Parts: sequence; C-alpha cells; structure tokens
Amino acid sequence: MSNLAVLKVEYGAYVEALTEALAREDEEAFFTALDHIVHLREPQMFDEIRKLTGDLQTALERFSIESRLVDFAENEIPDARARLAYVIKMTDEAAHRTMDLVEASGPLAEKTAREAAALQETWKFMRLRLPAAPDFEELGRTMDTFLSDTQSNCEQVRRNLAEVVLAQGYQDLTGQIIRSVMKLVDELQKALSELRELSGGVVEHAQLGERPPEGGPVIPGVTKGEVATAQTDVDALLSGLGV
Amino acid sequence: MSKDLKFLVVDDFSTMRRIIKNLLHDLGYTNVVEADDGKTALPILQAGGIDILITDWNMPGMPGLDLLKAVRADPKLAKLPVLMLTAEAKRDQIIEAAQAGVNGYIIKPFTAETLKEKLDKIIAAMGK
Repeated sequence: MSNLAVLKVEYGAYVEALTEALAREDEEAFFTALDHIVHLREPQMFDEIRKLTGDLQTALERFSIESRLVDFAENEIPDARARLAYVIKMTDEAAHRTMDLVEASGPLAEKTAREAAALQETWKFMRLRLPAAPDFEELGRTMDTFLSDTQSNCEQVRRNLAEVVLAQGYQDLTGQIIRSVMKLVDELQKALSELRELSGGVVEHAQLGERPPEGGPVIPGVTKGEVATAQTDVDALLSGLGV
Repeated sequence: MSKDLKFLVVDDFSTMRRIIKNLLHDLGYTNVVEADDGKTALPILQAGGIDILITDWNMPGMPGLDLLKAVRADPKLAKLPVLMLTAEAKRDQIIEAAQAGVNGYIIKPFTAETLKEKLDKIIAAMGK
C-alpha cells in the first residue's frame, strides 16, 4: 500500500466524521472526531521527540568525550582570566615605576640647567679678568660651550622625560583591550557552564592526557608546581646541585 | 589667573590619571583632583570648586558619557566645561558626546600639544 492509501485507511473515517459534524453543526461530534485524529498522531510525535532527545544526548556525550570543553570551562578559562589580570597589574606597576623615575629625574635636570645658567653669568664676569695666557683662552672657550650645552641638553632631557610619561598611556590602552577579552572569556565560560547544566550532568570531565608544561613568565596563582621567584632561589637551587 | 583653575581628572586607570596630572603640571596647572569613575566623580563635582572636568569614557561603574549627561542635567553643574579624553573613536560616539554637550574630545593615544590646544580653547571660551 502506498503512503497515501495508509493515511486513507487510518484517518479517512475520522476526517469524514469531522466534515459531517461541521455540516451538522454538531460540536460534540466534531471534537470527538478531532480527538481520535490527535490520538492517532500522538505516538508519532512522541517518537520524534524521543529521537530528538536521543540525538541531543548523543551530541552531549560526544561533547564530553571528544572535547576538552569542560576542562576549559572549569580550569583553563579561570586561569586565562588570572593571566590577563596579571598582565594588567604588571604593566600598571611598570608604568608607575617608570613615572616614579621620571618624576625623580626631571627636577635634577631642571636644577642642573638652572645652576649652569647662574654659573654662566658669574663665568662671563670672571673670564674678563683671566690672565691673557693662551691656556686660559682655551679653557675659557671650553667652559663657555660646556655651560651653554648643559642648559640646552637639560632642556632636551626634560622634553624627553615628558614624552616618556606620555608613552605610559600604552598601559591604559592595552589594559582596556585586555579587559574586553576578559569579558569575552567570562561569557564563554558562562555559555559552557550552561551547556553542561543542560546536559544534566551527562557531560563529565574529558579524559585528559598529561598537558605539556607551559612556558613563559610565572603567573601567581596560575603557574603550577614549585617556581623560583627570585634569582637567589635559582642560585640556591643550582649551588645545591653543585653548579 | 587661569593657572589657579581646579581640574577633576576621571579615569579608571591610575596610570592615565597620573599622565594627565603630569601634563597639566607641565602646563602650569597644579590644582588637580582625581576620581576613578563617574560615580566617584559626581560627589566631588557636586561639592563644588571644580573648574574643568577631564573624563575618560569607558569606565566600569559609571561611564564618562553618563557622567557628562549627569553634569548637564544638574543645574549647578550644567555649564561646567567637560573635556573627554578617551580611546572611543567611533564617529557615532563622538557625535553622541557632542550631542550630550561635550566641550572638547581627545582620542587616545594623544600628545601634550593636543591637550594644550583643547584646554586653551576651553579656557578662552570660559573668558578667564
């Protein structure tokens, strides 16, 4: 039998009853016929839902077996966050340290320039009284040049220091970019956690192989194992090894 | 006279606040206070005595644009000159700030000359 013939056998009588009930304006008969049709459809619908659920379950199982996403959500993403936060902290400290030194250096350059200017005045006056010996003439010219160079060099140092301060603005700009990546990472973690909850605990930790140790600088709270935090640690370790 | 002006510098990055403070210092403005977002800036502004507000845009808590709007909505502060110093460089954002009543807009990274130029313009408009 063709599909259509099957449908005719299964539904034909009810559809007719439905049409007749409508023609007779018999509400009760109409709903009775409709209920029969719905009952006929139900098992099929449930079958489909069951199949979909099964597919979803399989997909979620595969998700746990084939991927490291759970581990990402639980360990690596918080680690990534900590790493990024540490970058912001490190650049912040470096920028402030730089500015500490600039602020300490600027006044020194200014003081030197001021003193050179004052000395130049005195020197102009004293120079006229120097004995007219050729040696003194030479010294006089050297001193002139030195005093005026000192002033212009100090002025250049002051301008350079102002540029150094301005260049520390990188910390703000890179920090803002890092923060937006951190936000993205947070959202990713949230999405993965939701997916895990959705699976009703089906998704378990993926079987992880031993991950190769990571390189790069030590990140407090992230880097695992024993680490040397100062050169003295390294020296002590090496001397203990006889190096 | 204008060197007595009191500035409020608002930025969530302490490095940037320090940079701006340094530049203002070089320009002869030594009266500078700081806040790290709009929420902490507003009470300082409302307490009075601030002549010019320099603010970042992108800050957690209360962003600079909201601070600007709050300033313009407060009758006591409505005329306060506001200079926005931000990495937000989209055309729409600049227009939005202008519509909210910003007096100057500087994009990061910026130069000392740009800051001086925009400040001179603001101060000239203040008639001081």
